[in-house]
Amino acid sequence: MSFLQPLLSGILTGGVYALAGIGMSLVFGVMNISNFAHGDLMMLGMYLAYFAFTLLHIDPYLSLVLILPTAFLFGYLLERLFINRVINHPHQNQILLTIGLGLIMSNTALLAFTSDPKILTTSYSSSAFNLPGGISISAPLLFSFLITCVIIAILYIFLSKSTTGMALRATSQNREAAQLMGINVAKMSAIAFGLGTALAATAGALIAPTYYIHPLAGHSFLLKAFTICVLGGLGSVVGAGVGGIIIGVVEAMSATYLSSDWKDVVVFVLFLAVLLLRPQGLFGKKGGQS
Amino acid sequence: MKQITLLTILAAAAIALPLVIGENPYITGILISVLMMAALSSAWNILGGYAGQYSFGHAAYFGAGAYTTLILLTNYPTLNPLICMAVGIIAASIIALITGAIVFRLRGHYFGLASIAVAEIVRLSVLNFDFTGGAQGILLSDVSLWGLDLNSKNPFYYAMLLVLAVTLGITAYLRTSKTGYYLQAIREDQDAASSLGINLSFYKNKSLLLSAALTSVLGSLYGLYIRFIDTSAVLDLRLSIEIILTAIIGGVGTLWGPVVGALLLVPLAEMLRSNLLGDALVKAGLVSETSALGIFLKENLAHAHVLVYGIITVLCILYLPKGILGLFRRTK
Repeated sequence: MSFLQPLLSGILTGGVYALAGIGMSLVFGVMNISNFAHGDLMMLGMYLAYFAFTLLHIDPYLSLVLILPTAFLFGYLLERLFINRVINHPHQNQILLTIGLGLIMSNTALLAFTSDPKILTTSYSSSAFNLPGGISISAPLLFSFLITCVIIAILYIFLSKSTTGMALRATSQNREAAQLMGINVAKMSAIAFGLGTALAATAGALIAPTYYIHPLAGHSFLLKAFTICVLGGLGSVVGAGVGGIIIGVVEAMSATYLSSDWKDVVVFVLFLAVLLLRPQGLFGKKGGQS
Repeated sequence: MKQITLLTILAAAAIALPLVIGENPYITGILISVLMMAALSSAWNILGGYAGQYSFGHAAYFGAGAYTTLILLTNYPTLNPLICMAVGIIAASIIALITGAIVFRLRGHYFGLASIAVAEIVRLSVLNFDFTGGAQGILLSDVSLWGLDLNSKNPFYYAMLLVLAVTLGITAYLRTSKTGYYLQAIREDQDAASSLGINLSFYKNKSLLLSAALTSVLGSLYGLYIRFIDTSAVLDLRLSIEIILTAIIGGVGTLWGPVVGALLLVPLAEMLRSNLLGDALVKAGLVSETSALGIFLKENLAHAHVLVYGIITVLCILYLPKGILGLFRRTK
């Protein structure tokens, strides 16, 4: 097997990871909160896609039209009801609150959907495109990657051109100064959390056709999303995008050349290596680790 | 003086308790769990409560003790369990030192994140290696602990009580010692502490090592007590979170907070797990056994204890962030 095969599938999976990482990074940048419920929000996205497919017979990619606004609203409400009450608390309280919310989500899912893993099988689930050189690309992975690219492009334009986007970035750069300039930072926090949730759920829906859907699936994605954020620099959206691709490739390479049992270990070792060698991440500003 | 009298009465009651309830393995089992969680949470409290460094990966140190002890005893059945505990402490210390070396230079979110990453690396490695029993875990079939009667749970009750007493003693000592003041200064304001000449990294590592060593001893004891371990029992993230939650509910950074938290949470979890709560609701006539709700509760309440933990965590952070003991302190 050629070296290009894991590289290519790593990039494609990494794109979806990037989406989850960007969501987390956005929340971190604007609110300075580590969201430990992020993985569970991804899990909810997976189930939304699954039920949209099995109950309403909507294609998982088309169902994004429903999932995106639903998840945004859900995240917006979560922020308004819970998260904003700890925004000035110590980090550990914020972390524990999001852990608690995550436990509620995953264990409610466990009660409601049981622990049997679900599989979302579409007509194209196992189809693949064959490229010269014996490389094949899984169709759902490719579709997911392309949709991810479109969403990231829209998000980029939104953040750089729209008034709300600029206000979000201003809040991220300096919360107090943004408030002094008349930006409603409380509203920006709710929007950021809504966007973060929408991106997490979208990432979940996009990988639903290629993964087991399980109430506790969020756990491993949470740690991946953190690794991506730290690798790219906490709060850096561009960094999270690049970080996602790197993690996807590292994972695919270690699964191919080492063993799939150890691929998560490799990702976490990489995480510690980044903390040791470049704690500000690839795109973070130096000294930004406080 | 009043305090010493109170403490003596408490200690006497704890020592006499197994004699009063007699040979009841079920009750003794719950009491051992309470003592263990109280001790685990107190050990965590030294680092999280006093130094302000929230570790989300204490399961790694617990697992290090449990796995080291059981691996050694399955290979060398005649080995003194105390030696196994000592080796477990060394294993836990190595993990702690690696974590500390990487993250104590950094601040804020990083220690929490890195402690999870280290714990996950340990968990996945144990799961993937052969000598650790992998996903099957380790069963210790035959062990003689100085000829103690292992059918009785009482020896483990006293062992856990002893470790809890030692941990509380260390915490009480720390509160008024130089190291303790340094740790609290670091918790309140790192920059101020550093500018006063406190070696941040040294004191953070010191409290981490102390906390990890105590946690590892408890892991060893747990391994000897249950004599079967696997990664989901001793290395799971859920265990780390339960340890923190116990401290939070009782009161982080207080001497008795972890004990109060354990006294509340462990029996609650046990009531949910054994369906006592569901049965009680039925018996009280609140829910009919044959109704849809009754059947649902009977089938699911036993699995819901993590869900209840989640709800308690959220409520506690929002309404009681200083814990139950913090509540009393404020009214003083």
